[in-house]
Amino acid sequence: MRYIPICLLTLVLTACDHIDREDRLIYEKPVTSKRAVLLEDFTGQRCINCPKGTEVIEQLVAEYGDTTVVAVGIHGGPLGFSGNTTTLGLATETGDEYYDHWNLEYQPVGLVNRHGAVNYPEWAAAVKEELLKPAPLNLRASATADNSQALHISITAMGTDGTSSGKLQVWVLEDGITAMQMMPDGTANADYVHNHVFRKAVNGTWGVEITIKEGETRTWEYTQTIEPSWNIRNLSFVTFVYNDYGVLQVAKAHLR
Amino acid sequence: MLLPQTDEKTGAEKTGDFLTNTYADLLLQSKYVDAGARLEYLEHPLPGFENDFAGWGVPNFWVKGRLGKGELTAGTFYEQFGSGFILRTYEERSLGIDNSLLGGCLVVKPVQGVTLKILSGKQRRYWNWNKSLISGADAEVDIDQLIPTLQEHNLHLMTGFSWVNKYEDSDEKVYVSPAYRVNFPKYVNAWDVRVSLNSGPWSILAEYAQKGADPSFANNYIFRNGSAAMLSGSYSQKGLSVLLQAKRSENMSFKSTNNVSKAIGISSAINHLPAFTQDQTYALATLYPYATQLADGEWAYQAELGYNFKRKTALGGKYGMNIKVNYSYVRAIDRQFCDTTNDPLAATDGYSSSFFKWGDDTYYQDLDITVTRKLSKAFKLSLMYMNQRYNKTIIEGEGGMIHSDIFIADGKYQLSPKTTLRGEVQYLTTKDDQGDWAYGLLELSLVPHWMITVSDMYNVGETHIHYYQGLVTCNFGQHRLQAGYGRTRAGYNCAGGVCRWIPATTGFTVSYNYNF
Repeated sequence: MRYIPICLLTLVLTACDHIDREDRLIYEKPVTSKRAVLLEDFTGQRCINCPKGTEVIEQLVAEYGDTTVVAVGIHGGPLGFSGNTTTLGLATETGDEYYDHWNLEYQPVGLVNRHGAVNYPEWAAAVKEELLKPAPLNLRASATADNSQALHISITAMGTDGTSSGKLQVWVLEDGITAMQMMPDGTANADYVHNHVFRKAVNGTWGVEITIKEGETRTWEYTQTIEPSWNIRNLSFVTFVYNDYGVLQVAKAHLR
Repeated sequence: MLLPQTDEKTGAEKTGDFLTNTYADLLLQSKYVDAGARLEYLEHPLPGFENDFAGWGVPNFWVKGRLGKGELTAGTFYEQFGSGFILRTYEERSLGIDNSLLGGCLVVKPVQGVTLKILSGKQRRYWNWNKSLISGADAEVDIDQLIPTLQEHNLHLMTGFSWVNKYEDSDEKVYVSPAYRVNFPKYVNAWDVRVSLNSGPWSILAEYAQKGADPSFANNYIFRNGSAAMLSGSYSQKGLSVLLQAKRSENMSFKSTNNVSKAIGISSAINHLPAFTQDQTYALATLYPYATQLADGEWAYQAELGYNFKRKTALGGKYGMNIKVNYSYVRAIDRQFCDTTNDPLAATDGYSSSFFKWGDDTYYQDLDITVTRKLSKAFKLSLMYMNQRYNKTIIEGEGGMIHSDIFIADGKYQLSPKTTLRGEVQYLTTKDDQGDWAYGLLELSLVPHWMITVSDMYNVGETHIHYYQGLVTCNFGQHRLQAGYGRTRAGYNCAGGVCRWIPATTGFTVSYNYNF
């Protein structure tokens, strides 16, 4: 009898759900994608955890490819940096507008096909879930440059399942921008290379209304002036159609 | 409540016409049964709270029955085990914290000096309850009550043991890479043991807590145990008090949900680790407040000395003098991170740490000296000097180390038996962040009903913005009404080492309290 309290105490202290080291992680086969997924990463150069979000994006892109997981780094919000006379800033007014519109609270935070805010440890799960959903339309994008003065962007959409209504959005992205970034250890890395950085909304901040019927193919043409700060060799384009229920489809193309 | 205005100078935004945090508490008491409820109207809350804070309803309701040596609470309740290392549920309205448990709590005192508690419930997170079940038990024994010999020798010995369990059948999918996701434990256990001894002016408390594997957003999904150890000693005699304490904690963020969105921020905390820093009240001394680093851990030290120089002595003068010295130092613990190259499992080990070894970063340091002296029958003066180092990068995410010197003078003059005028002059000087700040305050008290306060905080170093404020407070019976107009700067509001970011505001404020 006198051992009962000791046994109970031992039971309490050891009654944890012990997980062996080799069982801490569960392997899951990468999914076979049925569509492309838009991952909007609301990031900032003054945000020390944002490089961790970028790491998740790099892993996803390595696994599925950058035209299947279409990541866009939208600099802005409270930890965004607009730049000064000595340091290049990547935040834009449009980025701030997006951050405020989605009522976001922290950085980094993402939108995966615009189904609400998702924190970066959960991006992979949200992306996998979205990859398995069929899309009601196909999108194709292509772009050419005109003597480094202007970009000519062509978007083609094909309805594949019912009538799709929403807004068509076209963005310019830039890779390979070397600019300051605060790192998780609190240091400032002046040589950080930023990829898939949102640069410009080509057809307005919120895009243009479109409707596509099943079997219908439509094309839109846009011209965008090349801004002096852009490196034309590193530009790419993202186009997507979205409505209140999320992103219907997204496509990415590099400048030819 | 606040009637906000847009202020381009401070960046304050008009986020609504009328913002209010309104609470109405109802309490019924009888010999055997107490009951209570709280109505909260936070549909359009004051700025700076998390989005999920908004709402209204009756989130707190409870009934408590007392019979013999037992007390049973059903409904929502607050509880703390020991220093709160493994369980502390509490309400702090200024921060938007209410992490009460909804369930049952039984407290039994079977014999004199023995208190047993057992509880179980779900934790409130704003307008929902997290789905995990928090259960726990606590036993505290005043040994001197059981052994009269100790009492005879004026020795008070207490020992306590607590245990807390979180059960969460998590459906959260968190991937450390596209192919591997975290296998969250269903049960997380934590325990705490403590002993305190008091004898005359001497007092000593030792406490140790440990938490089992609890991978979370805060600890980067590692399976390492958490721990907290504290040793605190004090001496208090008439006119002299000394406090010395040290604490080491690591990986002690303990939340009632694995959901990242819900776990970010200050909600869903099961435990609380006190900050070993002085709670400051002067405006410029609170400009850079420290927030306890629960997940990363810290070594924290505090020493405090208080001494009263007697009246009619060389230093005490005609009316006596009080001097208080406080020193706080908080530093990173040693952490040697595992090599995770090509081994996702290694990342779940986290790091190794040598218990007594420090890490590289100083998180916070302050030395403050306060001298209070009555210079005449009507005039009392407090002078304070504070030297502070604040690691803004660790606490706020960016900004580097801020080293500041703060000088404060606080004078109180009794104009008549019912009229007092108090004034504060403060100056903070630093080469870092936004540079120097100045602050002035005048407060006229007309007892028993009125108080008029005007103040201005001015950034000398960079922005040259005035944060002025005027307040009128009146007390009539059980009614207290405060109305004012002014600006507040963006910054952290902290209580007990927990902090909330508040944006800049400009506008009219009204505060009303009624107790009946």
